[in-house]
Amino acid sequence: MNINFTLNKKSVTIDVDPMKRLLDILREDFRLLGTKESCGEGECGACTVLLDGKPVTSCLVNAVHIDGKEVMTSEGIAKEPIGKLLIDCFDETNAVQCGFCFPGFLVTSYHYVKTDGEKNLNKIKKALSGNICRCTGYQKIFESVMLACERKPLMNANER
Amino acid sequence: MLDINCQYKSVEVSGKKEINMKFYKPKSLLELFETSEKIEGKKYFLAGGTDINVQIKNGMIKDEPIIFLNHLTELKNILQSDNHIIIGALTSFSEILESELLKNKLPFFQNSLKNFASPLIQTTATIGGNIANGSPTADIVPLLLILDAKLKLFSKSKLREVPISEFYLGYKKFILKRNEIIGAVLIPENAETGYETFYKKIGSRKALYIAKLAIAGLKKISNNKIEEIKLAVGSLNEYPRRLFKVEEYLKNKLVNEIDFADVEHFLQKEITPITDLRSDKEYRYRVCINLIRTFLNQ
Repeated sequence: MNINFTLNKKSVTIDVDPMKRLLDILREDFRLLGTKESCGEGECGACTVLLDGKPVTSCLVNAVHIDGKEVMTSEGIAKEPIGKLLIDCFDETNAVQCGFCFPGFLVTSYHYVKTDGEKNLNKIKKALSGNICRCTGYQKIFESVMLACERKPLMNANER
Repeated sequence: MLDINCQYKSVEVSGKKEINMKFYKPKSLLELFETSEKIEGKKYFLAGGTDINVQIKNGMIKDEPIIFLNHLTELKNILQSDNHIIIGALTSFSEILESELLKNKLPFFQNSLKNFASPLIQTTATIGGNIANGSPTADIVPLLLILDAKLKLFSKSKLREVPISEFYLGYKKFILKRNEIIGAVLIPENAETGYETFYKKIGSRKALYIAKLAIAGLKKISNNKIEEIKLAVGSLNEYPRRLFKVEEYLKNKLVNEIDFADVEHFLQKEITPITDLRSDKEYRYRVCINLIRTFLNQ
């Protein structure tokens, strides 16, 4: 079936099997390899992307569900001011070790910092509860998101 | 109607396998029922897809036809009508958690769902899907049971309302007739007003866990006497269940005079605890009794 959607702010059309997973569409049809597959069951968050602005596990989203919608991947977020801020903060706090979970954490953290942004550890833990890291540990990840929340008000108003 | 017959590549850990699947994307509810009637044999209705995609991955769904529902926006709504709050079957958990109407009318119900799966799943998972997937551990069902919710079932020529306590007949077995779907959930607007509330979900992690046991309760106690009590459990039985017999035993008793051996006796009468990969029946049984005790004494 033909589906139309916005991918990282560009309008795209593809002919695809309606049940094909968004994860596979991104990796195979668009070669956007930032989105990772780990559990494939929605439990780890490595494949998180934004669908109409909200974080979802792309392994559980089918092609039929993205028709007419907006998809933003870690690659798109990395070009946004808040995405850049988060990458710097993850870097400064050494929150990334093997890096496999990082694109998923970036997407979920981006959504939190962009829509809420309160420097509140409990809220950040709750927001990131669908993402799993198996090496660095969560402490540094939380620290980097806290740091991003602290720096967000210093950004230009049009970038926040 | 879009009738798509194409190859779907099901990705498995060991490699790729191609399966023939048939898909339907009806334009309206009427078209949905017309399509559904034409399909003989087993078929699946796809709402948010958070359970079905896992079942496809694990080979539990092979080449059965799939009817897409999620674009039917008429089933995606939370509104008030007469004395009920009506939640369309395709409403997502994040829409439920963000609803101002539910915040005002049914705050206990809304707050209890905060630990449903993870924020990433809440965006796509639907209330109708959670009920119709038929899992013993469906998070929303014990809450709906104690709130005396009804399900509005739609078919081509008929609408009917069924109390959710009568919906399940066994493991993944429902009262649904062929070509009938869950259209909406109806909750009385004052269902939790004036009650002391209780909801506990027991699991191995702090987040994103499937319950070993979930229990929901409402009570009205005055002068130490139980005037009203409603209890429901998930993950204990083959399907989430209201504990009518235990309620009947507890009603009008004084809290300090309850014999929990009797509670256990009545629980045994209406529950056959399950054992699965998350926990065994002895543990579930014991925790259930302990939580009823906690709720009554708090």
